[in-house]
Order: sequence, then structure tokens, then C-alpha cells
Amino acid sequence: MDKYDVIVIGAGNGGLGAACRILNAGKTCLVCEKHNIPGGFATSFVRGRFEFEASLHEFNGIGTPEEPGSTRILFEQLGVADKIEWIQLKDAYHLISEAEGYDYVMPFGWEAFAKANNQLHPDGEKYINEFFALCQQIREAMAYIGETKGRPDPAVMMEKYPDYLACGSYSVNEAFEALGYPKEIVDNLNTYWCYLGADGNNLSFLHYANMIYSYFSKGAAIPKYRSHELSLAFEERIHELGGDIWFNSEVVKILTDEEGHVCGIRLKDGREIAARHVIANCSPHVVYGKLLDSEAVPERALKLTNFRKLAGRGFTVFLGISKSAEELGLKDHNYFVYDTTDNVKQYESMKKIGNTAAQATVCLNNADPDCSPEGTCIIYMTTLFTDDAWSSVDKEDYFKLKNKVAADMIERFEKATGTNIHDYIEEIAIATPETYARYCGHPQGTVYGYESQYYDGLMSRIQMVEEDRFVPGLRIGGGYGERLLGFPSSYKSGVNEAGRTLRDMEKEGR
Amino acid sequence: MAFKKSNIPGEDIRLATEMTAKRRKLIDETPAAPLVYEYGVNRLAKDLHPGFVKAVIAEKTPCSADCWRIRLEPAAGEAFPYFRAGQFVTLSCRAGESFLSRPYSVISSPREALEGKLEIMVQRKGIFSTFLIDEAAAGTELIAGEPSGDFYFDSIRDRKHIVAIAGGSGVTPFLSMMKAIREGSEDFRLTLIYGARTRDHIPFDPEKFRGEGVEVIVVLSEEEAEGYRHGFITAGLLKEYIDCDTSVFMCGPDAMYRFVRGELESLGFDETKIRQERNSVGDREVSEIKAFRLIVHIRDAVYELEATNNETLITALERAGIPAVVRCRNGVCGFCHSRVVNGEYFIAKENDFRRSADKKFNYIHPCSTYPESDMEIDIPIMNP
Ligand SMILES: Cc1cc2nc3c(=O)[nH]c(=O)nc-3n(C[C@H](O)[C@H](O)[C@H](O)COP(=O)(O)OP(=O)(O)OC[C@H]3O[C@@H](n4cnc5c(N)ncnc54)[C@H](O)[C@@H]3O)c2cc1C
Ligand code: FES
Repeated sequence: MDKYDVIVIGAGNGGLGAACRILNAGKTCLVCEKHNIPGGFATSFVRGRFEFEASLHEFNGIGTPEEPGSTRILFEQLGVADKIEWIQLKDAYHLISEAEGYDYVMPFGWEAFAKANNQLHPDGEKYINEFFALCQQIREAMAYIGETKGRPDPAVMMEKYPDYLACGSYSVNEAFEALGYPKEIVDNLNTYWCYLGADGNNLSFLHYANMIYSYFSKGAAIPKYRSHELSLAFEERIHELGGDIWFNSEVVKILTDEEGHVCGIRLKDGREIAARHVIANCSPHVVYGKLLDSEAVPERALKLTNFRKLAGRGFTVFLGISKSAEELGLKDHNYFVYDTTDNVKQYESMKKIGNTAAQATVCLNNADPDCSPEGTCIIYMTTLFTDDAWSSVDKEDYFKLKNKVAADMIERFEKATGTNIHDYIEEIAIATPETYARYCGHPQGTVYGYESQYYDGLMSRIQMVEEDRFVPGLRIGGGYGERLLGFPSSYKSGVNEAGRTLRDMEKEGR
Repeated sequence: MAFKKSNIPGEDIRLATEMTAKRRKLIDETPAAPLVYEYGVNRLAKDLHPGFVKAVIAEKTPCSADCWRIRLEPAAGEAFPYFRAGQFVTLSCRAGESFLSRPYSVISSPREALEGKLEIMVQRKGIFSTFLIDEAAAGTELIAGEPSGDFYFDSIRDRKHIVAIAGGSGVTPFLSMMKAIREGSEDFRLTLIYGARTRDHIPFDPEKFRGEGVEVIVVLSEEEAEGYRHGFITAGLLKEYIDCDTSVFMCGPDAMYRFVRGELESLGFDETKIRQERNSVGDREVSEIKAFRLIVHIRDAVYELEATNNETLITALERAGIPAVVRCRNGVCGFCHSRVVNGEYFIAKENDFRRSADKKFNYIHPCSTYPESDMEIDIPIMNP
């Protein structure tokens, strides 16, 4: 039987990051990916004259070479930074919300964003400055906790980061209520909620504040050649470091020995490969429910997995348009089109098929004018379903249903922006929860891992990361990991789990 | 600023420090129920996209001078998925020394697939089709890829009336569409304009398909007959059927595409409302045929074979009997996506549908790539 130090299951962001980290430490590593290309959601596809981005709207935490964000630094450490060309986005977003009549564009940059809030409220700037100061403390506290490997000195915490501690247990809605900002300001600050997909009553304030601060202070970017560029950059790095990636190679079993320690994997075609350590880039629901023999799964792993809530199931409409963005009258890269900014209401209505209350829509040409042929543009619209409405669809109704939802989303966008897109659709592709389930194998077509819940948010997950693992030799990283979903988080989680795996190996004296 | 929510001193911080303990307790209280093995959404995804399906030939029927209809059945324990009328399946099997794969449009309807029937039409042309006609028989086992391709009616993108233009075996996707309209699994109007030399060259019975929502016009170039049009598919003829609510779908030889596109252009028809099914990438003309050494990695296996500059890399692999992943065979679908370790190659611009990052990092679709030097490539395993 062939043998590697570490086998990584899945070449999504988390898996690719993990493999690079393992290989950088001089260990041998095999990545098994069930699809024929790397990246998981981080990919692209071609239809006619258009190459569509499969997932990424914007990548936060990159910053610039002069002022690098945390993910750029991570990429430098892994040796992939030089392989990627970034395009910096100009503005943060264009928010259109029907109920409140909002229709405005917000810029990136602490100062610019703070000033722009003056158009919403006379004291807008003041509130934002105060809010960002709080965010900054949160960031610094998190960095300190990281430096102390999760064992911060309570005295230091009390002295330097009291606000971090004070808001630490609260949801977004609870915290904003305590902060007492005017509705317009809170609504604006809530715009990014759909990037995490949990409603404000559950979403952890620390997590959300940390994310939006990263967006506003460091801006966001996209890779020049879609996120497939990121995935191939990682693949290239893995080959450079002597690692192997096998495609069309689904792992169907994680093998354990008599002591319950991981000892290898089995591929769909029956081939077995030995390894004492496995890092899974897939869902714990799949790992504990399918990949491990049930005897190898401790009771507490089942409890934990049952305790968690699957996050948003994705739905995206990809459009290749035979008119330019300018001709259509679309000026912005990033549109949020909401029924209402009340995300508890939105979340509730997104449980059913039939009312797409929220969509995040990108017109890619406004970030990269060369992304499609002259006189054309690329638009993609994403929404989430917050429950399992798609699990009872009959196969004979499926195609019609997905077109119905897509048509509704297009119409809403047209209405909100006063444009005509429909007449110029040259190419269309629609991804439903079924598509995402097929693509990455996650339960119910989830694209956002486990939802950020009141008691399952970023901080508690990070603090309990060791407690949440059960099988010696096995770690799970990526969008289901302790840092939750998103490009930066999934890479980071994979790299972190690889770091922990290396420590495990050291402890075992290998 | 000091963040304060509770009026009880120290309460905010106390709540924060209790988060993990609370979480631990909640996990303790959650039942250790077994996890679901297959979720509803994942099951439907698998039903719609089963990957490879083992199939057997159930029946072979000649249907014109050079065409046969072949009906496939799923092998025991397998099932055909529901699909979109107009899609193709890729059939693979070992034929002599070679391992061959070729795409064929499905001519049966989506609902028939659910009843275990998948029918294709094969024209005597090329090595695999000839193998199917002459050597394969009832009972021959094939591997069928899942129905694929985006040559189907889309209610958002397309106008409600499709004028379908076909020649030769290019009628196949439209046969499925016409059946789908009749059975109600597709909802649009279709006017099929089919060009053939004589009545003997028509591989289907137009009368059988005419009906509500479906019109069939056959244009014979070398024969005059009642009930048939005579000549070619010209602007004059097209004008009779194209209205303001029309999209055009074409499937047939490249010469037909060129001719009909010219005719449509003269009518001022919107080019973006024309879709055409692509033909396989075949051999290319070269001034001098050169043979190169091709090293192929599949996982940890290494093969060495010969490849010539007039044939695609897929052809070289197939000839050597190496099972290579293939779906569309025309460069579009990316199923054969492979890494170039080193070597020079050529891809015709019109067949280059790679992603932009593939070009940057040197990946190819072997089905549309010709070697121009010795090459070393890493291809994904064929894993039915
Ligand atoms: C439409 C959409 C828009 C998004 N927009 C953004 C955005 O703008 N910004 C942002 O930061 N994030 C965004 N995200 C989220 C982001 O894409 C994900 O959080 C991230 O890609 C998850 O990475 P991952 O490491 O969890 O791996 P995944 O992408 O989940 O990949 C897992 C991989 O494992 C493979 N695999 C699974 N099981 C097996 C097995 N048994 N054997 C072998 N291989 C297996 C799968 O094939 C897959 O390749 C978006 C997601 C979607 C779908
Ligand atoms: S098989 Fe479709 S691109 Fe090669």
C-alpha cells in the first residue's frame, strides 16, 4: 500500500491551504479530489464567449502589497502570493432596499465610508468612527488571543480589551441595540449580513464586526482570472513542493486501526492509501455520517454534529449579456438588492422557494472591463435558501422551478436598477442547491458551512477547537471549520488544521 | 467608548466568559442520533447527475441509407437520469486495441429515460460509429456518461419559438425536443427545417413528429417531391418561419452553419439569438506528419506512447488503449482538463474554450489539442 504522511480529502480552499502548509514543513502529502479540477467553490466555467466566476463576489483581507492584509501575508508564507494577480475593487457596494427606499453607493476606506454615512444621518461619521474604533479593539484582541495560542492573560484582556469582552456574548442585533445608533446607520452596517448568511439575532457581533471592519478598512479584491486562478496557483505550488493531487478520486472511507487512530483512506475505485493523518476539507456531517465507520465515531462527535445548523444553501444565476455594462446603465461591481434591511424577516422568507427577498449581484465588468468581449458583460446574482425547500423537489419539476426562481431574481434586479437585462441574455447558467451538492458534496447544497449561531459562533469555535475533534489523526478544515465560511477563512482554517496536524505528528514522534 | 448592554455591573463580561461553557452544555444535551446518510438535495443531485452509467444495447434498427437507431437500456441495478431534450451522452467502450469514447445526442425523450430507454442515432462515419453499427450487437455493454451539454431550450434565454435547422445526423437533438414537447416535458414551439439530399436520406419520419407546437419542413436538394421543399435552406425560406419571437438552433455539418449564418445575416437576424451544436474536433491538415513521444501521468501510473501532430492528444490516448476522460470531444466542456508538465502544443482558436487561468498555468483540454513536440501531461483518471 502506498503511504503518505498526510492525506487531504478535497481540494477546496481549505484542502489546498492545508496541503501547502504540510508540504512546506517537508512532509509528504496527497490530495484526493472527487472533481476533475481543484478549488471546490473557488472555480470558474466557460459558456460560449463568457467565463463565469463560480462563487467569489469579493475577497477581503488581501490589502495591497504595501499594506498587506492577513490573507496576503498567509499567501506569501505559503508561497502562492506571486502567482496571483489581484484587481482592487473601487467601491464597497450599491445597496437597494425596497422597504426603506434605500438606493446608495458606499465606498471602501474607513474615512470615506464614515463620511458617506453623513448622507444617511447628520452624525453618521461620528457613529462610524466610534464603531470602527470598537472594531479595531476587537481585531487587536483577536490577534492577541491568536498570539497566545488561545490562552490570553485575563488581566491583559480586562485592561486592554474591555469592550471586546463586554460585547463578546452578543448577537449583532443585541449589540447594535446597546450601541443605540440610528436606524439608517445600523441598516447600512447590516448590509453585509448575507455574506455570513445568519440573521442578526444569531450572528455573533464579534464575528460580523471583525468581517465588515476588514472590508471597509482594507477594501476587497478579486483575482484577475477568476478564482480558478487561486486554485491553480495552489495546485502549482503543491507540485513545486513535491506533493500529489489526484482528481476524479473521491474518498469513500477514512480507515482507522484497532486503537481508533487514522491509518489511511479508501477511494471510490477501492484503492487504499495509508497515512497516519488525514485532513478533511469536507463537512463533518459527511465525515462522521459517511466516511468513518460508525464504530469509529464517538458519541460526542454525533452530539456536536447534530447540535450544529447547516448554513445557507446556494442559488446563483450566471448571465452572459450581449450589451456592455455601460449600455445597460450598470456602474457598480457589487449590488445588494433587498426587500428590507430587516434581516430577521429576510432570513425567514428565504426558507421557502418563491420569494427571493435578498440578492447579492455582481457586474464583473465594472471591476475588470476585460473579463468578457467588448460590447458584452457578465452578471451573476446569488441568493441563499435558509432551509431545505429544495430537498423535496421532483426531478421532473426541477428545471422549470430553477428557471422560475432565476427569472424572478432577474426581474427584481431589473426593477431595482431600472435596467433591461432580459432581452440581451446570450448565455445563462443556474446553480441551485442541487448543483452545489453535486459539486462539493456538502449536505443539502450548503455553501456556507455551519451557520454562525448564538452558541456556535466564531469565538466559541476557536476556543473549543481541540475539544471539537475526536478521532486521533483526523482534522477537519475549510468552510466548516472554526473560522466559518468565506475565502479567507477557509484557507486559514485549512492552514491552521495543517499546523495542528504537524504538532500532532511531532507529539507522536514522527 | 465603553460598550455596555446590561445595567448589572460585570454582567456583559460574565456572559461572554460563559459562552463556551454554555455551548458545551448545549452539545451535551443534544441527542447522539445517527447522522443522515443521504440528504434530499444530494439525492436529487445524484439522480440528475449519476456520473457514468453502465448500459447495454437493447436494439439496433436501420433508419435510412446510412443511419441506425440504437436503443440502450441501463445495466442491472443502474438507471438513466432525467435530462434536457437536446443533450448528448458520451458512450465508451473497448474496441480492439483502443478505448474509445464518443458523444451522441439523445433522440429519445426525458421521460423515456426514466422508463429505462435511451436512444441514439448513429451515422456510418468514423471508427466508433462504424464499430457500433457493424460490431456491437444487442447485449454489448457500454459506459454511458450522464446527459450533458447546453444545447437545450432555456425559457429565460430563448424566445418561445425555436426554428431548428438541421442536416444529416444533426436532426438528433431536435428529435428529442419534438418528443419532449409532445409529452409536455418541454414547453416551447419548434419549427424544424431539415435539409437532405433525397427522401432516402431522411433518418426519421416527419409525419410522426408533426403536431401541436411542432412543424417539420424538409428541404430536398437533389429531388422534387410532393410535401417537400426543394433546394437549400435559404433566406427566402427562412423568412417564412422566422418571426419576432424566434431563436435559431442549428445542428449539422460546419458547411451548413456557414451557409445558414450568411442567410440569417442577410435577413438582419440577431446573431446572439443563434445557437449551434459544436462538432467534434477531428484531425488537422499538416504539411508533414511528425511523430512525438507522449508521456502520460494518471495518478501514480506513467504511460509512454506515440502521438502525431495531425491528431489530437485524445486520439493518441485512445489509440494506445488508455482510458481517458472524455465528454464533449470538442474542447468545450472541460471534462478532460489536464496539466501540461512540458512540451509544445497547438489549439485552434475556435476550439479553445479553456478558462483564462488554464492558459496562464498551462492546462489543456486534450480533446482539442495537437502536440507540436514531445510532451508530458498529467490527466485525470477515468473512474466510472
Ligand atoms: C455562490 C457563492 C458565492 C460566494 N461568495 C463569496 C465571496 O464573495 N467571498 C467569500 O469570501 N466567500 C464566498 N463564498 C464562500 C466560499 O466560496 C466558501 O466558503 C469557500 O470556498 C469554502 O471552501 P472550503 O475549503 O470549505 O472548500 P469547498 O469549496 O467546500 O470544497 C470542498 C472540496 O472537497 C471535495 N470533496 C468533498 N468530499 C470529498 C470526498 N469524499 N473525496 C474527495 N473530495 C471531496 C469537493 O469536491 C470540493 O472540491 C461564496 C460561495 C458561493 C457558493
Ligand atoms: S471532453 Fe469536453 S473539453 Fe475535452
